[in-house]
Amino acid sequence: MLRERKEFILAVALFPMTSEIEIKTPAQLLATETVIERTARFERDAMQYTNQLYAAALRYTRDPHNAQDLVQDTYAKAFTSFHQFEPGTNLKAWLYRILTTTFINTYRKDQRRPLISDGEVEDWQLAASASHTSDQGKSAEDEVLENLPDGDVKRALQEIPEEFRLAVFYADVEGYSYKEIAEILGIPSGTVMSRLHRGRKLLRTLLTDYAKNRGFGGSNGV
Amino acid sequence: MECNEVMHALILFIDNEIEDTIQVQTFQSHFEECLQCLTEMEHERQVLSRMKSLLADECCEQAPADLQNRIAAQTALLASQMFSPTQIITEYRRTETTFNGETHIEIETTHEIRRDFPLS
Repeated sequence: MLRERKEFILAVALFPMTSEIEIKTPAQLLATETVIERTARFERDAMQYTNQLYAAALRYTRDPHNAQDLVQDTYAKAFTSFHQFEPGTNLKAWLYRILTTTFINTYRKDQRRPLISDGEVEDWQLAASASHTSDQGKSAEDEVLENLPDGDVKRALQEIPEEFRLAVFYADVEGYSYKEIAEILGIPSGTVMSRLHRGRKLLRTLLTDYAKNRGFGGSNGV
Repeated sequence: MECNEVMHALILFIDNEIEDTIQVQTFQSHFEECLQCLTEMEHERQVLSRMKSLLADECCEQAPADLQNRIAAQTALLASQMFSPTQIITEYRRTETTFNGETHIEIETTHEIRRDFPLS
């Protein structure tokens, strides 16, 4: 019985070794290949998202210089932990998650800012919206949105507070679900919903304000 | 389902975040009965789709070429640091020479330092 077992183990150990020797040269067996392979895989799979990551980074830092640094740091972290990425899962979302943590750890460290309690937001904001809008209000808003000059939406998005801005970016530009956004931002799904809801409202209010300042649009607001 | 319940959860309906198909049907049957809620939902949906297309048009900045180059250089550097540690191969050569009954032993040592440099 003991002998049988021994043979079995031997067989298992032998086969993978034989096949490896056939494929790889001795130099490649020095774990050298893994780095080359990983680099190639990284360049092939991750580098295609530089534009999207840069656009996202601009939503975090709001200036091109820091956005570039943020993207570069994100790629450094992504490369060194690329072995932790599970192939077949969403690579872009994984990169966005790293972008978020890099931003929090590096760029936001010294910026003290008031944090808005999400619970609070949820209650009053949802209550405020729980009524029908007048037809006049609707058409005024349609008019504003149909006649927006270039750059207004981008400017409005940059003006709203960070937590709302990011929720809106991931939902309405990138088209992620609440669950995916929750993973990227490291917050609960319910928080995503309230931030998104508030963010969209703020955006629409700002756009109406811009229009009003130009002497355009109805006085009903949004 | 009451109007205010529908309005409260409208964002979830519009974002297709309601997984329960029975709940989705409840919404839909409310919209069939209530013109006000239907109008509201359609307005919200239309505004959102307009906002999405405006945002998509304006939030699609291209990464500068310089940034792409910086990342590529950084990846190459990080990759080279990850390579197997430097190998030092030491060779000993022992030479014994016997001349007139006198043995002379010479030991020669060489060190070869091997290091992989991966990327061009």
